[in-house]
Amino acid sequence: MRPEARRIAGYGVAALLTWLVGYPLLITLMEALGLPRGLSLEHFAEFARRPDEWQALWRSLWISAASVALAGAVGIPLAFVFARTEFPGRRILGALVALPVALPPLVGVIAFLFLYGESGFVSRGLQSLLGLEQAPWRLSGPAAILLVHAYSMYVYFYLFTRAGLARLDVAMLEASASLGAGRVATLFRVTLPLLTPALVGASLLTFMTSLASFSAPYIFGGGFRVMTTQIVASKLNGELSMAQVETVTLAILAFLGLWAMRRVDPGRSVVVGGTRGVAPSRRVLRRPLVKAGAATLGWGLALLLLLPHLTLLLISFVPPGTWTVEALPPVLDTSNYESLISTPERLRPVVNSVWMAIAATVGAVVLGLAAARLSLKLRGRLGGALETLLSIPWAVPGTVFAISLATAFSVNAPAMGRVVLVGTPWILPLAYLVRSLPLTGRSSLAGLRQLDPAVEEASASLGAGRWRTWRRVTLPLLRPAVAAGASLAFITALGDFVTSIVLYTYDTRPISIEILSSLRLQETGVAAVYGVLLMAVSATAFLVWGREERI
Amino acid sequence: MPPFLTLTDLDKSFGEQTVLEDLSLEVAEGEVLVLLGPSGSGKTTLLRMIAGFERPDAGTIVVAGEEVTSEPPEKRNFGMVFQHYALFPHLSVEQNVAFGLESRRVPKDEIHRRVAELLPLVDLEGFEKRRVHEISGGQQQRVALARALAPDPRLLLLDEPLSNLDPTLRERTRRQLRRAIQQIGITALWVTHEQEEAFDVGDRVALLNEGRLEQVGSPEELYLEPRSRFVASFVGRASSLPGVMADDGRVLIGDNRFRGRGVRWPGVASGSFAPGDEVELMLRPQGLSLADRAAGEALEGTVLDRRYAGEATYYLIELEIGGELLVAALPDSSRVGARVAVVPRPEVSPARIFGRPRGDGS
Ligand SMILES: Nc1ncnc2c1ncn2[C@@H]1O[C@H](COP(=O)(O)OP(=O)(O)OP(=O)(O)O)[C@@H](O)[C@H]1O
Ligand SMILES: [Mg+2]
Repeated sequence: MRPEARRIAGYGVAALLTWLVGYPLLITLMEALGLPRGLSLEHFAEFARRPDEWQALWRSLWISAASVALAGAVGIPLAFVFARTEFPGRRILGALVALPVALPPLVGVIAFLFLYGESGFVSRGLQSLLGLEQAPWRLSGPAAILLVHAYSMYVYFYLFTRAGLARLDVAMLEASASLGAGRVATLFRVTLPLLTPALVGASLLTFMTSLASFSAPYIFGGGFRVMTTQIVASKLNGELSMAQVETVTLAILAFLGLWAMRRVDPGRSVVVGGTRGVAPSRRVLRRPLVKAGAATLGWGLALLLLLPHLTLLLISFVPPGTWTVEALPPVLDTSNYESLISTPERLRPVVNSVWMAIAATVGAVVLGLAAARLSLKLRGRLGGALETLLSIPWAVPGTVFAISLATAFSVNAPAMGRVVLVGTPWILPLAYLVRSLPLTGRSSLAGLRQLDPAVEEASASLGAGRWRTWRRVTLPLLRPAVAAGASLAFITALGDFVTSIVLYTYDTRPISIEILSSLRLQETGVAAVYGVLLMAVSATAFLVWGREERI
Repeated sequence: MPPFLTLTDLDKSFGEQTVLEDLSLEVAEGEVLVLLGPSGSGKTTLLRMIAGFERPDAGTIVVAGEEVTSEPPEKRNFGMVFQHYALFPHLSVEQNVAFGLESRRVPKDEIHRRVAELLPLVDLEGFEKRRVHEISGGQQQRVALARALAPDPRLLLLDEPLSNLDPTLRERTRRQLRRAIQQIGITALWVTHEQEEAFDVGDRVALLNEGRLEQVGSPEELYLEPRSRFVASFVGRASSLPGVMADDGRVLIGDNRFRGRGVRWPGVASGSFAPGDEVELMLRPQGLSLADRAAGEALEGTVLDRRYAGEATYYLIELEIGGELLVAALPDSSRVGARVAVVPRPEVSPARIFGRPRGDGS
């Protein structure tokens, strides 16, 4: 492409991204500030006057901090075990324990509900074992939220720590040993300091994810409101201005987090000293007892982590109304699945979710790839702006985006770049697309950065035109990166709950919304079937991602 | 016969930095011209400009009478061998070689025939189905050459084709490349920063320094008749000494040269100098020899180091007047620490006299 044409394309894509990503946020900020009627801090003052707003803010912060601590406590030791020891089944378990990150949060939450909830397996079991009148506990409030967070977010610590350990040069550990440091001294004086950037990165990521978390507080929170649930509650109560102010507040917190992430940049700083050495080898456990112990621990842990999902699978085979007071379900059959397939109304959300997720993924891949390509070719300010625009939706909580899109696209003012999309079938795919952009954009960027520009030049010098070079050389080489980004984008869109709950209409209701209403109607079996469906598709896509992008 | 490739007054800057300036060059058909120069001198930029990956700010590129200055690379029909090969990692050896032919919509059986003809030329029979990361560096290098040659290009461009190979492999691969190029008889531009490689493969060598051509000529010309002190010092070994032109055409060197005395050294002037001009003498080790005592015009000094290098022994002499000279002599001529006199041997390699840029005092 000629430089001028490329610049024009760059500005075009930047404008499109700004319209999709930045503009809704800006409009929300302006409306929160009382514009266009007149600039005022009235809504913010109202926010500051209400104690429940401060309470929600405070709860969001401490829940996030506690989630970091708990996720770290699970994830870091787990990573050390899997990185440093060898026991039977290590490989497959190592891949399995990373799975929760790929499952839609709502699925994890209902799986937890079915396992540890009031009428879940564990409490029923205890109830009948101890002969209790009531369930031994209620799964609600902050403890329940934290449990779910720790359970799903330990994966960040697990993955970051493993990546950090894999890049650690064994020579450094040997140097430490040769200088007289023992195992423990080496761990605290060499290994952990070198892992610090990875751990800080994982902490920030967990903090931000937990700040944005919606499913767990929504299902388990009850009266315990955090910012995300507070926003949706305000919106449902019709207090749109308050929802906007809350949205702006949460967005500011998220941007602070993004800013901190940028400063740490866990991706690069883990590599110490430039040249890569040899990672420490695994300790092969020889003594049979130790070996059996490690294997038991590993398998036990993995089972614990996968138990909620196994429960979900089991519940999906329990016909409606057959499980009342027994400790274990008395009947198991496939009637829930059959009813889903034979009832068009129940199949509808599946069709909706699938087409919307496909549309969003295709859009996000095309836009992400174009923006990434232009960003790298143009460099400079425009290139940097494109890259930033691509990564913004990643930092912005889904709730914030949902409210912003609902604000921006509920007014018809084409001159202002605003059209009514809320209430049409297009708003959800669009919202999914925007939320998936960082996934496809970042993986495209990574793929393009690895691509040797000389390869494309070689193709040109061999007489291939731009189109042929793109089709025969660039695209095949980018395929792994694009496939990885696309599969993650698809998972995210398919299982989305946060943006859907704000923006869906009855005709476009996605699977997550249907799960929610099935739960309300006490149709746990049907809810579980939907959950299993999401789980199966997500796990498949995750495996594709894992194959293409080895960790 | 008109030149096959003509570069006229090419200029190129990246932002503030001028990378190539006023560069003109002619290459005859079938000639192998080596672009030699230190790192950052603009060799790659020039090659990429000829290939069409960079557009010159000014100047023209004409090939076989046709101006190609702003043609896109895919229209030029030049073959290029990249420094890091840039082989297509997702294709096999055979598919890599066939790529350029497919771009030109050559019929399938013709492609087959051509690939089967090229692979033996670069000693790669039997490797057709291999992926490119499954073969060695030297083999990859030869795939890159075969791929560039397959569409029968008008011109072959090679950017440091050997720099990614380890030294033992380098010499053998160099021979293979040179042989293949000669067999086909293609016009080639070969970029390198190694003088020995340049002299070995080039019919002529163009020496580039800071974006300007210092000298273009056969290896002998560059070595024996360097036109600037840069050429003299870049090509082969040379020592340099500051001096002042004397009225007999020789150069006065030594502490008291400004008073018209000092040692008078014979040399060949590049350019015209008047008596009293400040100049620089470039001396090849072969143009010097060692004597026991100062006899007539000689420089006295002490042997600082002695290195045996097979065909000659090199003595590093620290001069009493300051500075150092490298002298080639017989192995038993002297020993480290001995006091010696250095005398000229103009019949072997005369010293060359160059002007000294202002402000470059001794
Ligand atoms: N695309 C570019 N943008 C900016 N500067 C460039 C670009 N390409 C080259 N340069 C600069 O131009 C100068 C010449 O570079 P070039 O690569 O042509 O040198 P070279 O002779 O090939 O050196 P080497 O032997 O190191 O390969 C260098 O100073 C380099 O920094
Ligand atoms: Mg170069």
